[in-house]
Amino acid sequence: MTNALRIQDLTVEYKTRRGVARAVDRVQLSLEENRTLGLAGESGCGKSTLGRAIMRLVPHPGQVAGGNIYINIDDDIPCKKGDIPKGEVDITGLNEEQMRVLRGKEIAYIFQDPMTSLNPMLTIGNHFIQMIQAHNPEIEKEEALDRGKEVLEGLGILPERVTDYPHQFSGGMRQRVMIGLGMVLRPRLLISDEPTTSLDVIVEAQILEQMAELKKTFNLTMILITHNLGVLAQTADDIAIMYCGRIVELASTENLFEAPQHPYAQALLLSVPDVTKPNKKLVWIPGAPPDLVDPIPGCMFNPRCPMAMDICKTQVPPLIESETGGLVACHLYGGK
Amino acid sequence: MDKTKLVSGIFFQLTPKKEAFEGRSGKWWFALLILVGLALAFIAGLILVAVGSNSGMGLQVVTGTFIIGFLVLGGRAGSRYVVEQGVVTKKRAFAWFIGFCLITTIAVSVASFVFLPASAFDLWFVLVTGGFTLGVMVIVLYDFYPVLRERGNPGLAVTAGILLVLSIVYMTFIAYWIVPHDPFTLDVGRPLAPPSSSLPFGTTSLGQDLFSRTIAGGAIMLQVAVVSVIVCFFIGVPAGLGAAYRGGMVDRVVSLLMDSIFAFPGLVLAIAIAAMLGPGIINMAISIAVVYVPSYYRVIRSQVLSIKELPYVEAAVVMGARDWEILFRYVLPNALPSAVVILSINFADAILTAAGLTFVGLGFPIDVADWGYDLTAGWGVLVIGKWWLMTFPGIMIVLLALGFTLAGEGLSEILTPKLRE
Ligand SMILES: Nc1ncnc2c1ncn2[C@@H]1O[C@H](COP(=O)(O)OP(=O)(O)O)[C@@H](O)[C@H]1O
Ligand code: SF4
Ligand SMILES: [Mg+2]
Repeated sequence: MTNALRIQDLTVEYKTRRGVARAVDRVQLSLEENRTLGLAGESGCGKSTLGRAIMRLVPHPGQVAGGNIYINIDDDIPCKKGDIPKGEVDITGLNEEQMRVLRGKEIAYIFQDPMTSLNPMLTIGNHFIQMIQAHNPEIEKEEALDRGKEVLEGLGILPERVTDYPHQFSGGMRQRVMIGLGMVLRPRLLISDEPTTSLDVIVEAQILEQMAELKKTFNLTMILITHNLGVLAQTADDIAIMYCGRIVELASTENLFEAPQHPYAQALLLSVPDVTKPNKKLVWIPGAPPDLVDPIPGCMFNPRCPMAMDICKTQVPPLIESETGGLVACHLYGGK
Repeated sequence: MDKTKLVSGIFFQLTPKKEAFEGRSGKWWFALLILVGLALAFIAGLILVAVGSNSGMGLQVVTGTFIIGFLVLGGRAGSRYVVEQGVVTKKRAFAWFIGFCLITTIAVSVASFVFLPASAFDLWFVLVTGGFTLGVMVIVLYDFYPVLRERGNPGLAVTAGILLVLSIVYMTFIAYWIVPHDPFTLDVGRPLAPPSSSLPFGTTSLGQDLFSRTIAGGAIMLQVAVVSVIVCFFIGVPAGLGAAYRGGMVDRVVSLLMDSIFAFPGLVLAIAIAAMLGPGIINMAISIAVVYVPSYYRVIRSQVLSIKELPYVEAAVVMGARDWEILFRYVLPNALPSAVVILSINFADAILTAAGLTFVGLGFPIDVADWGYDLTAGWGVLVIGKWWLMTFPGIMIVLLALGFTLAGEGLSEILTPKLRE
């Protein structure tokens, strides 16, 4: 199996007035083709920053301070400012035009807020035409529209609605359109950043279902960012748990839900409400994550960790193989 | 739209079929009556004026322009028909139509040179311009009305505005040939004579016929307004777009320049520039344009600055849209409706500023008919009860400004999909 995505030692920093906030801290990650990786963690832990770094779209004061991001490309991609050869490509070394060619075609990104993500001046059909022609100018309008209709149908939107404007759609439908736009060029990698967070539960379930369906037909590799572990239980193959910019545990969905290794992952799972067990006691994690501008030494979780030891306050735990076959970063494991 | 509707344009709505009149409300009949009445009154008035024209050619000119207007309409309908029949593509048919218009123009010009006496040589220009203005009016009704009507009230407002402006343009083009008296001749009647049956609008303080001056007085206003608005629009909008999109040093320098212009009171600045440049239509237009460029610049700049940060622009980046696509398909279309609002206000204001410039003596000499001149002259004699001198040119200025405003406001609503319903 080849890796669709491989991230090495990625560090992203925001240079704010108060100081440098390290939102992504030496992240290692590889993602096999055709799998769905769930990226979970409290809000502010750097999930969106990591996702945007893969698009090379870290918002303003932020910048990639180190590391490499490799994606796998099937065919040579022509580009005015230097063709991109097939195989593993380090996108941190590409120029803006090369990046533009990759965006949407090889890597797609779906934002959280569907209400304002569509151009109010363009019909839905024109969005698809724009999207397709930005990458394949030789494709005729009619054909681009047909492709758009096809994808929309898969997402439960009537094809004749392509002549409508965004304001004529509900939030859930707009998000479907966004998903359709993200998928229509059959990208290699689709990153969706909390795609259903602003929608109600029923629409959320429908959309996740349709996404999973389209993912299968289009052979996509997907990263699903969410703070809701319940969403990942149904959709993800693997789950990575982030805390303060670091990946603290990576495991298959099954293993993570059955035997979470990292104390933070354990606490996170205990705090997920479960409707089938109404009497289950909800546990929340006391305290708040440390300030990223003024990080604490050692394991970032140590002030909140019930199992904290002395070593935790001085040394950063390395990400090592766990007993369940995943990865974990905690001094409780790995002997010594 | 079905086929017959496409070919017949407005006449689909106007075909006197029985169903078209059945079950209509009293209001509808009333509106129809007013519309038809207005159109008939317009034509009757035109003919009446033309018959009594000073040049003795009024009726011929009016007839000529109408013939050209309907030729243009015929050409348009014909090109639509061939498209409908599937004979040629839309583009080809449009090219044919343009060719047809060119041939008409050449034919009219040649005919004028052959048949007209040397003294009426410039008549061909009037025939062509007036005829094509009429042609555009008829096409607006024929082509756009069914489309605009589907847009609801703003569509009708745009239609009304365009027609209003174009009828004033038409009137101005043919003015010299239909006026009952030469608008510049002094002592046509007693100075400051009140409206009477022979001089329906009265006379100016120099005894010129105000009716003729009212018909002929739009030329300068129209030219000044159109030129200045075009200049402002095509400087202010790109400047705002570029500055806001680029940011940094460019933005600061351009903004400083615009703000310093903006800091002056508009009319004072226009007077200063007009005084510097001297009289003339272009100079007047430039001095007004300078005053208005900052309005466009500011509105577009602030719009672009906020639009640039909106999620759909970032979404476009994520989709791999090119820079120019983002600028012209995402940012500009969303910023433009607010510029169009400025545009209509600008038109109206330009007309009034032009009147103001004339008032302080930076307009045109007496031997040019101009509403602004008569208006400001009339203002001086209003206190002694000579109301007509100010009223009739004033009404024309208001009508022209109203036309521009209607068209502009309606357009900005049509351009914004959300406001369309
Ligand atoms: N534009 C920004 N400027 C400064 N700091 C930012 C900015 N965006 C995010 N951050 C910081 O980066 C951290 C991670 O943010 P984010 O990636 O949005 O987290 P998540 O998506 O997991 O909620 C946050 O703690 C925040 O303080
Ligand atoms: S390293 Fe120490 S503090 Fe961190 S999670 Fe493991 S036990 Fe807790
Ligand atoms: Mg986020």
